[in-house]
Amino acid sequence: MSKSDVVVIGNGFAGLMSALVSADQGKKVTLLSYGAGTFPLNSGVIDVLGYDDSGKAVANPAQAVSAVADEHPYKKIGTQALEESVKFFQDVVAAEGFPYVGSLNEQQWLVTGVGTLKPSCLVPESMQGSKCFEASEIVLVGIKGLKDYYVDMVAENLAKELGNDKKYTVVTVDPHYQGARDLTTKDVAAWMDTEAGYADFVSQVKGNAGAGKVILVPQILGLKGNVVYKKIVAELGCPVVETTAMPPSVNGLRLRDVLLSALKKKGITVIENAKAEEAVIEGSKAVAIKAGGEVRLQTYNADKFIVATGGFYSGGITMRDFGEAKEVVFGLPVECDCVEERWVNKQLFSDKKQTFAKTGVRVDATLRGVNESGNVVLENVYVAGRNLSGYDFCFEHSGNGVALASAYKAAKA
Amino acid sequence: MELEERARDSADNCIACTSCVAVCPVTKANPDYRGPKLVGPAHNRMHFSDESDYEDSLKLCSNCKNCDITCPNGVSVATLNMLERAKYYKAHPEKHTQADQMLSHNFQMADMLKSIPFGRTCANIGMSIGEAMGMMGAMGIAPQRKSPRFATKYFREMYKEIKQPEGLTKEVLFFPGCFIDVNDPEVGVAFVKVMNANGYKVLMDDRFKCCGSPLVVGGYLDEARSHADNNVAIINEYAAKNIPVIACCTSCSLMLKAEYTELFAQEEMAQAAKNVYDAFEFLTILAEKGELKKVHVSSDKKFIYHAPCHLRAQGMGMPAVDLLKEIGVNIDSADAGCCGMSGSYGFHKENYETSMKIGSELFDKINASGAHKVVCDCGTCREQIKHGTNAKTTHPIQVLAKAYEQ
Ligand SMILES: Cc1cc2nc3c(=O)[nH]c(=O)nc-3n(C[C@H](O)[C@H](O)[C@H](O)COP(=O)(O)OP(=O)(O)OC[C@H]3O[C@@H](n4cnc5c(N)ncnc54)[C@H](O)[C@@H]3O)c2cc1C
Ligand code: SF4
Ligand code: SF4
Repeated sequence: MSKSDVVVIGNGFAGLMSALVSADQGKKVTLLSYGAGTFPLNSGVIDVLGYDDSGKAVANPAQAVSAVADEHPYKKIGTQALEESVKFFQDVVAAEGFPYVGSLNEQQWLVTGVGTLKPSCLVPESMQGSKCFEASEIVLVGIKGLKDYYVDMVAENLAKELGNDKKYTVVTVDPHYQGARDLTTKDVAAWMDTEAGYADFVSQVKGNAGAGKVILVPQILGLKGNVVYKKIVAELGCPVVETTAMPPSVNGLRLRDVLLSALKKKGITVIENAKAEEAVIEGSKAVAIKAGGEVRLQTYNADKFIVATGGFYSGGITMRDFGEAKEVVFGLPVECDCVEERWVNKQLFSDKKQTFAKTGVRVDATLRGVNESGNVVLENVYVAGRNLSGYDFCFEHSGNGVALASAYKAAKA
Repeated sequence: MELEERARDSADNCIACTSCVAVCPVTKANPDYRGPKLVGPAHNRMHFSDESDYEDSLKLCSNCKNCDITCPNGVSVATLNMLERAKYYKAHPEKHTQADQMLSHNFQMADMLKSIPFGRTCANIGMSIGEAMGMMGAMGIAPQRKSPRFATKYFREMYKEIKQPEGLTKEVLFFPGCFIDVNDPEVGVAFVKVMNANGYKVLMDDRFKCCGSPLVVGGYLDEARSHADNNVAIINEYAAKNIPVIACCTSCSLMLKAEYTELFAQEEMAQAAKNVYDAFEFLTILAEKGELKKVHVSSDKKFIYHAPCHLRAQGMGMPAVDLLKEIGVNIDSADAGCCGMSGSYGFHKENYETSMKIGSELFDKINASGAHKVVCDCGTCREQIKHGTNAKTTHPIQVLAKAYEQ
């Protein structure tokens, strides 16, 4: 393998975006991938900041981001890089024919798979829950045999959120499914990608569509970008909205496919099943990564490295013994409030951040790992995504936002 | 000696994230398949009281390994499936069909035909007649397919007639594998040319048996074990003499490098694996050391590459594409996932439809590419590509051998 300018380790949202931004800078990029990132789990929507430190809902993410605590990654990344990263992302997906709507100045609203509402910042056209606000009638589509989607419960919860002055109608579509297993949204989406499936679906829903209505469906509008979405909105003549989903999340997979397609166009080399195992260090620089390979590790040389291995959740950081957390590939310093009593906030859905969730690599404003005295450990190694310390993505709803902005900053550095 | 870390125990690492389900090509194509997470890790963990209890849809898994490639937690999903399958057939040998028997034991047929004068020609004529008369279907083999024909001379015979240059000091041992040996021996010939040009003499060892991949998929695990033991002993013998073993077929190399150890967890197997290389992996190592013969291709003929899943599972990227690009070949990877064949899987009559559905994305990309030829390291993938498109196919080592000739 000839030398690259940049090697990105990890293929979650942060890794793919790091690779794209680096390639956009004219760099020769190799991406080491292992697993599929969090894409099959999250709904492929970009939360920037949903709730502030006190747990209050954020109305304007840009404003709220400028007020985060010093330890927060956004503080180190800066608002300018965040703004540029959002634009970069929107340009990339739009160029792939899969545009995301939203801006840093307001929240978008998603309808969840159980019928509640939640804020997010950038969402695909098919998931604009706010379209429900103006509608006089919500037509909720259930799918016969679909696992984990209870359309009556969705209707009930949504009525609580949006009020009873709207009409809520439930329609159940029969996909004429003959298989032996439970149906998932991915199966239904694949059915919608076929001409026959699409026509069948439309014929069962069309009677309920019309002006002033919104058709609310689980995440089933095809696996390929927004092809089915565009077709069906035109055909039904009213807005169609997808909810968020249970794994495997169709929209997470769409986003992954779209980004991988952009990677390919940029000539980025993706090595699959290549878990980075060790780094070759010379002085204060990393020169190579040894990764993957059944039997023998392959060596990947580069001038610069970006570690986007997903932190605790995805194996980027481990803790064999309590208090001994470490970043796996380069051994970068991890900061955590490793006092057992404070580690886990026993109330799972409490109003406090979880200490363990904030554990991550200690970085400076360049996103390079620093030791306790604040000195950079490895000059050419940058950290992105959930590897970073100082935030609880789950509490504040900032997961993909931090991943995006940090990837952008790390790649630009 | 049994290894401590056993792939069969990896089911406990499963966190039910469903990444494997999201990428499994059979799950996507066939609604009867309950998917890797359920039939592999979950089923394995249930520890049924009756050893022979079986998840019915497990027979639909093709052992393509896309689940393994995507699992973030190191679960050997496909191998768990194969172990479960073997357990079932051990308890119910009567459930094996005639097609299982034939497709898993092609190596026996090949040996037998070789021992009969005109055996291969007759068998090929027999296949043509059989296909024309629709007899394949009756045997459980997809009647739509043309079975690969037996070469009139196997590679092991051709090898004896090749005059390798005198005075080559370095040696490698070739593991031809069944497909190259009996169906596509020209790949072996190209391999010898390339290695000779790089100063290596190619050795053969007639004690090698089929790597056992078709036996594992067919549920004949004990037989596969005996093949593994046989081959591993030979590989270790050569390891002691510092002679590396090289395969041109990516399913064979995956078997020798990884699957033996995953399935049987023996230390000698892990040891032998270290002495096995895929051909382009080996050539890349030579290139990195500056020892690869330099050549430049100046032809604008366009090639499209299909990466076999069993290569992708090896976690080393696509060494053949990188190397061919480096010497100036106009080649691009199709990136279209699994071809749907998975060795003998697609030859089963009941898997035909699934197999073709899986391959359709690749077929479309190839048809749209306008490429002169499809390049692929795996013999059965090449069969599938020829069946699903009108494209001509070749092994990357043949492209390189040709470049050396000019
Ligand atoms: C269930 C769930 C739902 C979520 N929902 C949302 C949502 O709705 N909106 C939102 O904005 N965020 C959401 N998030 C958070 C968001 O998904 C993550 O914060 C963000 O995507 C993290 O991206 P990442 O690239 O840093 O990490 P990951 O996505 O975890 O990717 C890291 C990748 O690196 C790989 N890796 C690890 N070690 C190595 C190694 N040594 N070598 C090579 N590769 C390696 C991993 O296998 C993995 O593929 C959700 C998270 C979860 C778990
Ligand atoms: S080996 Fe292939 S067919 Fe079998 S479960 Fe894994 S991905 Fe699916
Ligand atoms: S990908 Fe791995 S961890 Fe996830 S469900 Fe499949 S086997 Fe389990």
